[in-house]
Amino acid sequence: MFEKSLYDLIRGLRNHKGHEKEYIQTSLKECRSEIRSQDMDVKATALLKLVYLEMLGHDMSWASFHVLEVMSSQKYHQKRVGYLAAVQSFRPDTDVLMMATNLLKKDVAASLPIIISLPINALPHVVTPSLAMSLLGDLLPRLSHSHAAIRKKTVVTLYRLALVYPEALRASWPKIKERLMDPDEDSSVTAAIVNVVCELGWRRPHDFLPLAPRLFELLVDGGNNWMAIKLIKLFATLTPLEPRLVRKLLPPLTNLIRTTPAMSLLYECINGIIQGGILGDGEDFSAREEVASLCVTKLRGMVSASSDPNLKYVALLAFNRIVVTHPFLVAQQEDVILECIDSEDISIRIKALDLVQGMVSSDNLVTIVGRLMRQLKASSATINHQHNGGEAQGPETDSSDEGSAAPRRHRKTQDGASPLPDNYTVDVIGRILTMCSQNNYANIVDFDWFIDVLTQLLRVAPAPRAKDLDPGLSPSKAPGDISEKIGNELRNVAVKVKAIRSVSVRAAELVISRMGSEISFSQPVVSGALKPIAWVLGEYAPQLLSPDDTMRHLLDLVPRVDGPEVLATCLQAVLKLFAHVSGDDQALWTSERKSTVSLLMARIIHVLEPFASHPYLEVQERAVEFIELLKLTAEAAAGQATSTDEVQQDPPLLLTQAIPSLFAGWELNSVAAGTQQNVPVPDDLDLDEPIHPNLNSLLAQADSLMLPVQGNDEFESYYNEKAPATSMSSEPAIKRLVEAPEEVSTSYQQSEESYLDPDIVARRKAERMERYRDDPFYIPDATASGGRSTPIHNILQKENGPGLDIDSIPIMQLDLSGRASPAQSQVQQQQQQQQQQQQQRPRPRPSQRIVVAADETLGGSGLSTPRTTTYDSENNTGSEPSLSLATAKSKKLKQQSLLQITSSHLSDLALGEEGGGAGQPGGGGGPLAHERQQREEAEMALALKEVQRLRLEMQRANERIQVAQGVPVEGVVVKKKKKKKKGKRVVHLDEGEGQ
Amino acid sequence: MINAFLVFNGQGQPRLTKFYTQLDTSIQQRLISEIFTLVSNRAPGSCNFLPLPPLLAASSTSNTSSSAQEQNDVPSLVTYRNYATLYFIVISTSTESPLALIDLIQVYVEALDRLFENVCELDLIFNYETLHATLGEMVVGGVVIETNMERIVAGVKAQGTVAKRPVNEGRSGGGLGGGLGAGLGMGGMVWPGTR
Repeated sequence: MFEKSLYDLIRGLRNHKGHEKEYIQTSLKECRSEIRSQDMDVKATALLKLVYLEMLGHDMSWASFHVLEVMSSQKYHQKRVGYLAAVQSFRPDTDVLMMATNLLKKDVAASLPIIISLPINALPHVVTPSLAMSLLGDLLPRLSHSHAAIRKKTVVTLYRLALVYPEALRASWPKIKERLMDPDEDSSVTAAIVNVVCELGWRRPHDFLPLAPRLFELLVDGGNNWMAIKLIKLFATLTPLEPRLVRKLLPPLTNLIRTTPAMSLLYECINGIIQGGILGDGEDFSAREEVASLCVTKLRGMVSASSDPNLKYVALLAFNRIVVTHPFLVAQQEDVILECIDSEDISIRIKALDLVQGMVSSDNLVTIVGRLMRQLKASSATINHQHNGGEAQGPETDSSDEGSAAPRRHRKTQDGASPLPDNYTVDVIGRILTMCSQNNYANIVDFDWFIDVLTQLLRVAPAPRAKDLDPGLSPSKAPGDISEKIGNELRNVAVKVKAIRSVSVRAAELVISRMGSEISFSQPVVSGALKPIAWVLGEYAPQLLSPDDTMRHLLDLVPRVDGPEVLATCLQAVLKLFAHVSGDDQALWTSERKSTVSLLMARIIHVLEPFASHPYLEVQERAVEFIELLKLTAEAAAGQATSTDEVQQDPPLLLTQAIPSLFAGWELNSVAAGTQQNVPVPDDLDLDEPIHPNLNSLLAQADSLMLPVQGNDEFESYYNEKAPATSMSSEPAIKRLVEAPEEVSTSYQQSEESYLDPDIVARRKAERMERYRDDPFYIPDATASGGRSTPIHNILQKENGPGLDIDSIPIMQLDLSGRASPAQSQVQQQQQQQQQQQQQRPRPRPSQRIVVAADETLGGSGLSTPRTTTYDSENNTGSEPSLSLATAKSKKLKQQSLLQITSSHLSDLALGEEGGGAGQPGGGGGPLAHERQQREEAEMALALKEVQRLRLEMQRANERIQVAQGVPVEGVVVKKKKKKKKGKRVVHLDEGEGQ
Repeated sequence: MINAFLVFNGQGQPRLTKFYTQLDTSIQQRLISEIFTLVSNRAPGSCNFLPLPPLLAASSTSNTSSSAQEQNDVPSLVTYRNYATLYFIVISTSTESPLALIDLIQVYVEALDRLFENVCELDLIFNYETLHATLGEMVVGGVVIETNMERIVAGVKAQGTVAKRPVNEGRSGGGLGGGLGAGLGMGGMVWPGTR
């Protein structure tokens, strides 16, 4: 049989374009048989082919034993294939590695450098703690191998060993340090050691402080840019521990910045100066000032528009690090950074976004969000455009007159450039929400605008992805898609900002009607936004514009809802809406009303009925409850005679009193996370005590209970009492709260038409017209120029008289506080202006007060506590938050990034250097584990020898007896002997290598 | 440190995969295809850094709450370079210098060019062992050990002769040809390199 070489395989692949799959399958089959061949050449070739196919995604874990066979080949070129296969195909669960230990030991001790390199190169990929432990002794002598190439590779391999087996570092550190200190050492070995120390440095900076002089020397005289970069990175972690280093480092670093031709080194110098806290204040202020301005100017130059995109990116990276320690330095660069948000390059955009998120204030929020919204809208327009089959006049031509962003966007659409990827869109939306909602909406001055933004976001939000990702891999993604988060914001605003509640509710109405009309009847509703939206609709039903339509939409949607939690909320909302729609106790009980209500109830019952046997209990319970309640009501309604001209008839009380009272108890306020845990248990409450002393008999009675004929009253009183009773638990929380409202006011804003859909803008304008119709200071402009009609406008109008050209006033620079009280002196005004600039939030203006309700807390100061504060606070003794924190932590521990190699084990390891000389590690602290192990092994070897000697003696004695008895049993005995001897030899080898 | 070094062509076919952690083959392939999607959607003139692919982003964002120190272990940087028909990708943590990584890829490609004399994609396809050997002279276990061209080339040559591309498999073969050399001579360096 003629075997294919790797060359044949690749050629075959290239000649089978279109049906590679079958070709690969047959090749795999061939490999399976070839790899069992006795001929090592055939075996190795088959393995090489398998490794090639593995690269293309074909599993070869089944071949791991054959990998070992090839690894143990005597020929270098075969051995090399074996090692390559091990590196590429061994996985954490590959168990044959245990058998390889001796082979690895042998190859590490080989005489040829190219053979030594094989295990040293492969070990980092396959190492396990036990393997590391048994190979450590063999690797250590390689640190002084005559070939520099072996020395440098060994250094790195020892580092990787230490990551899984920290003792390895303790044993090897003195030798590595010796290499580093040796001025005659090969430069590339030194560089490799510096790389390793740089990896270790951030984990245990203290251990490397004593090296600082040598490292400094290398930095100044090294002349190797690669190494200099690593050294600077290392120093950046050392300087916080040793402030004196700063003075030493500044001159060479400044010198490098000024002179180096390598941009990468220049960048790392700047980065190191910033990261190492060298910018911080201290003595020698002027020099630092100089360095700071030098760095920031250089970075600014990198970010600015004309620069190379790579420099832009890395400068943003650097800013992202600076912003943690020196936010003011970054804030000065706001203009150039904001430009990057609109970059064509998504990488740059994301980095800029990271930065911007930390820079938002009430002054720039609208601008920033506006930019992002424009991107999102353009992207979704592109998607629509692609769906619609290439009609060039997409929806965004509506907005193409909006300034500089438009032409580029337009071109993009025509180019058919790919729209923004979904995960980027989700990311951006998430950031918009965070920016707007942070600090309890502190940055938002115009909630009308915010609600419009939310409505628009719901339209551009990508549909939640099918949950095909492994649940183990990304559990953070599973709960809730992005539209649910948007919906949650809408709900939060509705709850927290009373002044704007009607607008929020109307926005929710708009959303649900769109959902009802847009999603086809066969498809399930997957948008997570439905849950919070439905809640808003139900809770604030009285503020709905057209409750009947909303009811209809909701009922249409309910049967198609996907997800039980959403469904439960929707059911609740349906009944709340019903209570509002039909519960009017003022209107007469006309025959018309009677039939409408009866029909509606029949419709609701029809919708709810399928859920009475829903597997999710919450849904089932609510459905059953509501169905029964509605059936009762329907009976009552049917029995109630309608009012005629002569006789006035009230509607059934069940309809007008009982059901509405179910939902009209207390107003619901937002409660800080974890606060509920702080509600003290009343002293007189005994949770073990039965609710009713005679509960069982009561339940038994209930079975035989007949409804009284005039049951309405009883029913009504029952529910009327019940309502306050349910709110008992939350009563103390509300009463104890000191409301700390935050006042924010509206302000000038820019043309949001460019990113909001036309219908949202139109609605917005109409609402505004409505609101200001009775405002004597508001002059409705005939041209309907939009967004300008804010209170500032009114104030201006009032103060300056109608004759002024308002548009010529630079509105952004107005001193508003001064305007509010013109009597103040100029100096005061200036002071105030400065204060205002310093403050994150502008002063509340009396013209319009919007109160954002703070989350309710208990046990705290009562101020508006951000959610996290309560969550993390120490006095939070509640079991649930701490539990969830604990689980979060454990999750964090378990969940690592895909490619991550944890070095956390190292943080527990101290490189005991305080004691004796570096060369004699045993001198200082206690005996090192590695040595201890060696000693134990030696003891073990002695013990084994002793055992063997005894056994031999016993054996001889036995033989004598057996010979005497004439029974030949040598075979078994001899075998045993052999095995023992082998073990002994290995142990001896260990000893020899370790010394 | 470097977490992975990948090479694939314009169709997303892998030419070299080297992961410095043990990863399931299927996940490797998914990561490659995610990165390929990102890379192939780059506008001309974009920077050489990619946003994190979903597979990596998912795990790194969930870790944001952990201390800044832990972040140094998380792969956070995806650097790529495009030469003719090939993409070279390096996934690394924040302890690597981004600009230096761009240069590192350049060193790797130049070393291959020296070994193969005017390297093209075909050389890499048929000699992927040499690709591994060259990388092994530069990076061990995710740590850079050598950046000097002479030493890298010498190290690879010490392991045996480097095979030339098959004679009958011409440069035009299968339409995959097209020298990398064109992208090499000038180096395509915008700024003076680290070397």
